[in-house]
Amino acid sequence: MLLMGNESIVRGALEAGIRIAASYPGTPASEIGNTFAEVAKEMGIHFEWSTNEKVAFEVVYGASMCNQRGMVSMKHVGLNVALDIMEMAALRGVKGGLVFVSADDPSQHSSGQEQDQRWLAKQNCVPALEPSDPQDAKDFTVYAFELSEKYQLPVMLRTVTRVSHMRSNVKLGKLRRLERKAEFDFERFSYVVAGFDELFYGREKEANEKIAKIKVEFDTSPLNKLVMTGKERVGVIATGQTYNYVMDALVKMGAKDKVAVIKLGTSNPLPERLISKLLKGVDKVLITEEPDPFVELHVKALAKDVNPKVELYGRMNGKLPGEGELMPLMVDSVIAEMLGEKLPPNPRAEVEKEAKDMIFGRMLTVCAGCPHRSSIYALKRAVKAVKGDIHKVIINGDIGCYGLAWAPPMSYEDTYFCMGASLGVSQGMSQVGVDTIAWIGDGTFFHAAIPALMNAVQTKTNIKVVVADNSVTAMTGFQPNPQSGKTATGEPTVSVPIETIARAVGVEHVEVTDAYDIKATEAAFKRMLQTEGVAMVISRRVCATEAIRRMRPKRSVPYEVNESKCVGCKLCLLTFGCPGLSFDEEKKKAIIDPTICMGCGVCAQVCNVGCIHGMDE
Amino acid sequence: MKITRVVIAGVGGQGTLLATRLIAETAIKHGLNVRIGETYGMAQRGGPVMGHIQIGEAYSPQIRPGEADALLGFELAEATRRGVTYLKQGGLAIVNSKKIPPVEVISGISKYPEEGELIKLLKSVSSKIVVFDATSLAGKAGDTIATNMVMLGALATSDVLPFGEKEIIAMMKESIPARFLELNTKAFKLGTEAFRESK
Repeated sequence: MLLMGNESIVRGALEAGIRIAASYPGTPASEIGNTFAEVAKEMGIHFEWSTNEKVAFEVVYGASMCNQRGMVSMKHVGLNVALDIMEMAALRGVKGGLVFVSADDPSQHSSGQEQDQRWLAKQNCVPALEPSDPQDAKDFTVYAFELSEKYQLPVMLRTVTRVSHMRSNVKLGKLRRLERKAEFDFERFSYVVAGFDELFYGREKEANEKIAKIKVEFDTSPLNKLVMTGKERVGVIATGQTYNYVMDALVKMGAKDKVAVIKLGTSNPLPERLISKLLKGVDKVLITEEPDPFVELHVKALAKDVNPKVELYGRMNGKLPGEGELMPLMVDSVIAEMLGEKLPPNPRAEVEKEAKDMIFGRMLTVCAGCPHRSSIYALKRAVKAVKGDIHKVIINGDIGCYGLAWAPPMSYEDTYFCMGASLGVSQGMSQVGVDTIAWIGDGTFFHAAIPALMNAVQTKTNIKVVVADNSVTAMTGFQPNPQSGKTATGEPTVSVPIETIARAVGVEHVEVTDAYDIKATEAAFKRMLQTEGVAMVISRRVCATEAIRRMRPKRSVPYEVNESKCVGCKLCLLTFGCPGLSFDEEKKKAIIDPTICMGCGVCAQVCNVGCIHGMDE
Repeated sequence: MKITRVVIAGVGGQGTLLATRLIAETAIKHGLNVRIGETYGMAQRGGPVMGHIQIGEAYSPQIRPGEADALLGFELAEATRRGVTYLKQGGLAIVNSKKIPPVEVISGISKYPEEGELIKLLKSVSSKIVVFDATSLAGKAGDTIATNMVMLGALATSDVLPFGEKEIIAMMKESIPARFLELNTKAFKLGTEAFRESK
């Protein structure tokens, strides 16, 4: 069956008989939760999109202490948010198998950083498994639950974007239900019953002992495979998906019999005896992994004891780059060099350069019809009107589609960092006398901004907050959040409006406006800017792409340009820049591509001469 | 062992993934190993999308520069961008002439290159280039959203894949919901005709 890596992980969890799963959306992990959301009811398990990753982890840990298996999934930086509870679960131990997925994003395909979360596994005495493809992803997941229960530790399943998003044929196992009774294990987890001192102190020693035992188990685990005849002079330790590049390179070069290979599926702890065998048997060893030299550093330490003469190749000796994803050509050329061969340089380097000079880069922008575009447009006008200059205020953005506010032609966002940071950094700037606006989305507001908002109220900090509320977590695929009024599996539930929270925590000036109404939104922003203290505008309109999804198979009515009225001023293109707009250079008129237009009609409000109208008008 | 390699280039929202999946599902049905890799980080937001497919005994989906047997270009500039890197000398390029200008063109920061210039550059790696307006053909079939099936139809008619039109149409019947099937098969057929006419 053709499965994506992320779908295979869900399949593996279901074959392991999980009872509960929780996640917060984030690329490249999102499809794990999306898939759970689709199948949870049918499989009789609980799945939720939690408010953030820490909550998700805690929910699953709670069930684990009651002897139920569960999975938490998140993108790499989500684990930073969940780190507090992850560390405690590692120290206090688990009961029902607890597997958490950290989907790392080397080379930052869709992230602000490429943090390698295997260091957190090492730091917290947590085993880390690295699948190389969708089949591994399923099989490793099933094994991870066994391992978790055997050693009573949470287990990290660590993928990278190219495993999470790879699709290939997967052989399925049987779906399982465990039918275990849910009972809190007092002997293991209750301070009162187990004894406070026993549970609280000295847990690091126990965790270290568990990892030492797992290390021995990994030496003979099928997750690690050594292929060596003893005649090779060169070896490779290929971690996770880089194994695929190594094998493709060896097949291509016809060098399979010249190179001994360890397919490494367990990066923490390392199977030291297995690796020692390779280190002792060859002269040169290449370590391939992404993105940090995590395995390489530990192999280097090991080599000092078992074969100090072995020459190590990888990211630390400069033969591979110190950061980022590996590319097949990089792996080809290092292996060739180790075998004493030389490959021709990239045959396409020259023509690629020509193409790069000729073709634009295709910058990201918010979609056609996106309500954020009109919110930013209105915000610029309001700041200009109240402050005289749009750059008199620092715009601190946040994580989500609206984070693209920096992109031309809107070009109106100075910073963004991590979930919820817009509110915190804005307060620091404001305290030292610099004017700010925190520019945050609805999903991010719930995830991490509420404590920061209360902080601003308590400290009487003069900050302005714009919530770009498009009613879904759009960037990761339209997942619901606490305001949506529905659960992950589509059940109706209580909606938690942002304005209710804001007023409840003491924000006195809170207004809600329709993002598609530029005049009204601009007026609301002006009133916010003229208010002392904490003031908030929620600029609300459902994500255009989501709106179209909801009306399918019907489509909205596109807008068009009345050529006789258009004066060719390009105002709509240069200040608004919706992807549905372009310019006919011969006629000198703006045009709207009806296949792209979402029918929001905001460009008609931007036009000075009234030349844009709906096709039905 | 023979490996078939195809690169798909386009822009977010063009349905490249459905075309890729149909190829892969057909391959699996015929007992072939297949690997797909897609890069689409924030594709919904107008970004470029690229898919790699390797059919046969490959470990990774990732195709090395200059090794793709075919390029399926859903958008003119994206086709050239990826084609010059991945298409092998003499490989087949099927290119939709549709232009989707990015925000830097819309807002006047850069220009969309002339079609002639783009094709000329692509020709420097292969002269086997078929260009036609797949988006208009999809419109004729009923909805421009079916551009992906027009492109797939054209690829299926070439002899690049280890299976042909019939096998892919059979798979479409299995995996596309009934209410969308007519539009998609119609678009697919227009793609096969466009490819034949180009010869």
